[in-house]
Amino acid sequence: MRLNCPVCGERDRREFYYGGDAVAMMRPAPDAGVGPWDDYVHLRENPAGQTRDLWHHEAGCGAWLVVTRNTVTHAIKDVALAREAKR
Amino acid sequence: MTGIDIEGGVVKGVQTSRGAIRAKKVAIVTAGRSGQVAAMAGMRLPIESHILQAFVTEGLKPVIDHVVSFGMGHFYISQSDKGGLVFGGDLDFYSSYASRGNLPMKEHVMDAAMTLMPMIGKAKVLRSWGGIMDMTPDGSPIIDKTHIEGLFLDCGWCYGGFKAVPGSGFSLAHLIATGNHHAPAEKFRLDRFRTGRGLMDEEGTGAQHNLH
Repeated sequence: MRLNCPVCGERDRREFYYGGDAVAMMRPAPDAGVGPWDDYVHLRENPAGQTRDLWHHEAGCGAWLVVTRNTVTHAIKDVALAREAKR
Repeated sequence: MTGIDIEGGVVKGVQTSRGAIRAKKVAIVTAGRSGQVAAMAGMRLPIESHILQAFVTEGLKPVIDHVVSFGMGHFYISQSDKGGLVFGGDLDFYSSYASRGNLPMKEHVMDAAMTLMPMIGKAKVLRSWGGIMDMTPDGSPIIDKTHIEGLFLDCGWCYGGFKAVPGSGFSLAHLIATGNHHAPAEKFRLDRFRTGRGLMDEEGTGAQHNLH
């Protein structure tokens, strides 16, 4: 698999660290309670199909990316910088 | 199976392509697809599904008479009755249902194999495949009741399920039949993630997705 980093261009999967579901960008307030924190840390949609997740270009520019991809086909639909991505 | 019937928080049976089956007790034991089946009951699980690759070589004369696990390389190998070496290593480390893996992890697994036993370097790999692993945050499984009366879970076996099937089936049957947790499996609670109590962090790396 290759990812098209918005900064560096298309790069090999080996340059990236997988950071899990993009739910990580929606951190609840510290006092949000057990439910929202359980949702955030543990529970997952885990879709067979389109998903959004975070990848770190650790062997490249160091940017965090939001990747929209298909978990069944491995097709990449979109790669955006996390700091610019819609939350 | 196409659906799970629930009325007033109590399970009533399942829907299938051949019609409805009524049941007072229903268990979800669908490794690799636990998330989709639980969604039929309106549940989300503490599970991410990942790829794990496995490899088989051409048939060789007997060379390994038991399973070898190599912790440092996170590698295992055994020899089948037909002589093929069966081996594998780490996950590909991202969520996927594609049932196929990536070349970098194949290289990593071959590295580990050669580190452990350089003599297998001349064996030719015949085939490889990718399986779907339902990974929990702490790397340990779930055998428990759910908040829906009569609905049980046996899932999240990560990459240990295949060898654990007889034991997990026995413990699940005990739970379904008696309503009480089977002693050897009583810690495999679903709510350990929500409460933080009783987490079974097998590697001491923490109880978050993507760490096991």
